Amino acid sequence: MDVRDKLNILAAAAKYDVSCSSSGSNRPAMKGGLGNGCSAGICHTWSSDGRCISLLKVLLSNACKYDCAYCVNRRSNDVPRATFTPKELIDLTLEFYRRNYIEGLFLSSAVIGTPDYTMELLIKVAKELRTVHRFGGYIHLKSIPGASSRLLHEAGLYADRSSVNIEIPSDKALQYLAPEKNHASILRPMNYLAERKIEYKADKSRFSPRFLPAGQSTQMIVGASGETDFQILTLSSGFYKQQQMKRVYFSGYVPINADKRLPVITTKPPLVREHRLYQADWLMRFYKFQYDEILDEQHPNLDLELDPKIAWALRHPEMFPIDIQTADYEMLLRVPGIGVKSAQLIAASRRYSKIRLETLKKMGVVMKRAKYFIYHPDTPASLRRLYPEMIRQQLIVHPKPQQLDLFDSANTLVLPAPESSTTFALPIPAASAASSSNLFISKSA
Amino acid sequence: MSLCISYDSTFDGFLSVVFEVYRQRLDVGDIRPDRDAAGASVDIFQQPFRIETDQESARRLKRAVINAAGEDVLQTLNAAFRSEEAGIEMKIFAYLQRLFSGVDKNFARNPASNEMLPLFQIARAVRREAGGMLGLVRFSKTSDGTYFSEIEPKYDVLDLMVGHFRGRFAGERWAIYDSKRKYGVYYDGHSASEVFIPNLEAVTAETPPDTITQLWKDYYNAISIKERENPRLLRRCLPVHYWKHLPERQSVRQVV
Repeated sequence: MDVRDKLNILAAAAKYDVSCSSSGSNRPAMKGGLGNGCSAGICHTWSSDGRCISLLKVLLSNACKYDCAYCVNRRSNDVPRATFTPKELIDLTLEFYRRNYIEGLFLSSAVIGTPDYTMELLIKVAKELRTVHRFGGYIHLKSIPGASSRLLHEAGLYADRSSVNIEIPSDKALQYLAPEKNHASILRPMNYLAERKIEYKADKSRFSPRFLPAGQSTQMIVGASGETDFQILTLSSGFYKQQQMKRVYFSGYVPINADKRLPVITTKPPLVREHRLYQADWLMRFYKFQYDEILDEQHPNLDLELDPKIAWALRHPEMFPIDIQTADYEMLLRVPGIGVKSAQLIAASRRYSKIRLETLKKMGVVMKRAKYFIYHPDTPASLRRLYPEMIRQQLIVHPKPQQLDLFDSANTLVLPAPESSTTFALPIPAASAASSSNLFISKSA
Repeated sequence: MSLCISYDSTFDGFLSVVFEVYRQRLDVGDIRPDRDAAGASVDIFQQPFRIETDQESARRLKRAVINAAGEDVLQTLNAAFRSEEAGIEMKIFAYLQRLFSGVDKNFARNPASNEMLPLFQIARAVRREAGGMLGLVRFSKTSDGTYFSEIEPKYDVLDLMVGHFRGRFAGERWAIYDSKRKYGVYYDGHSASEVFIPNLEAVTAETPPDTITQLWKDYYNAISIKERENPRLLRRCLPVHYWKHLPERQSVRQVV
């Protein structure tokens, strides 16, 4: 088997890992070495599913000894198996890097032999890149659950980012789907690395080694087991606060294995739900929202028709409309249609002059959404109070109507099936959130 | 009769124009770069006028902008100028006129004024492309070991990218060539210099796709998830006009 075959097998085996970011590390180029980190991160291309590719994301090996139900590389699957030698992987990384194809290496592996043995192989690659080839590019190393602390610590000294995937948001479902794993075994390496990072950071010396400069990330599968969005957001908010996670990724479950514990193989990936979860995640990371503001016990699932920011604004009509000239920056951020950049621009420019509606539009504010939520001399009197039940319908993005083909019998006269009638939501936010919640929850759960 | 001023298309040249306009109290109708001279229509009510670049006057005007508004505003004007958009000179000139008129003391640093806001947004687009292009440069290896790349960015962003590559590939020899604007940058392992390539075909013929390029294409195809295919999202993130110089999108390009 040559490198090309191995690359095909092991890249395809790694594609369900969502993380692709190369941000957070500004590692300088080493003297006489190759490459450096760019703290903003650089995307090098986008694959045909629209996801950014910035790292060479491969497994070291896909010959796994575990048998997790959701995973493509599980022991009981009949797929071609391959293993890179460290040298092949290092040469490939350096050649790709010199041609500016990639920002660095994302190295993960199936568990071969013991977790410690696997971890040692990963570290060997990273160590050789850093010390022998003086490679300064980005390295993302997976921590293998069950590897010893000594190895985790060593990995942190060579890698920019480390990650352990939590996979399934609830412990019970994880143990059901992946008998060899549980939450405790996944949280242990996370906590260990988070503590070491804090220790290294406390040392202010210029010469103290870099320890995971880009922090940690994790990933969970959405739609393979029956958790609510509220549970998922609570968990990810905990990761941001306690484990100092840089990112929590969501991966809409793509059915790859026929397994009676999982949704049926014909299930479509819950892409809308995944998108809404990312929007909620953005609200927590950049818009200063708390997880329990986005959802609560009464509204356990995100509204699939409206983005979570609008949903929050419609649940709080008492806060709006706000005065664009005097409102706090935090409040500007909460207006649907105003993003971080326009909020900064508004805050920077309103000290010098009054902001008119047409200026707002030129600043890039989406007036279609924002006009209901801001108070302004130019605002028509009819829009100076917020009536959530009235504007809800206007804020929902309807798909463009399409002309049906008269002669295509397969596509004409399709009435909505009874189950999908839940998508015709009632105009009251609470009711619709509850009713749309069943859409992507598996029937087997 | 107002003047239609032509200059050599450089930023310093433009600043010299503004400097001369103030010094000679010229009546400006339009400012046009030489780059557009070939196909441009002539306004018969304007008199053509030529102003040559003068480094000293450009330097003095830069100093004046920094004193009146700040270093970052000068950077914004420079970035907006790099957009090479038709009429960008008159927009920058309008800003400078109001800045130096001293009528409104709040004008200089207000990003949302009528004169500044369009420049601010254009500058943002230019910087965005400069950042995005850092990932879209694709080197191929020539027989003498130099890494060569051809790009065609929408805006003139090559100068904004050089520092990044100089830091990253400090020990290599590489060249990036902007074939749209017909100039490039060559780095010989110590310092970068501007270069012109009279015969581009000869250089690209020397860098045929090799096995590494093939491996990269394989990797690219293997990493995408078929069930999640989303061509609209792909085109939004990676517009089609960049595909020309990306080996991984090349085979697809013929089909689209």
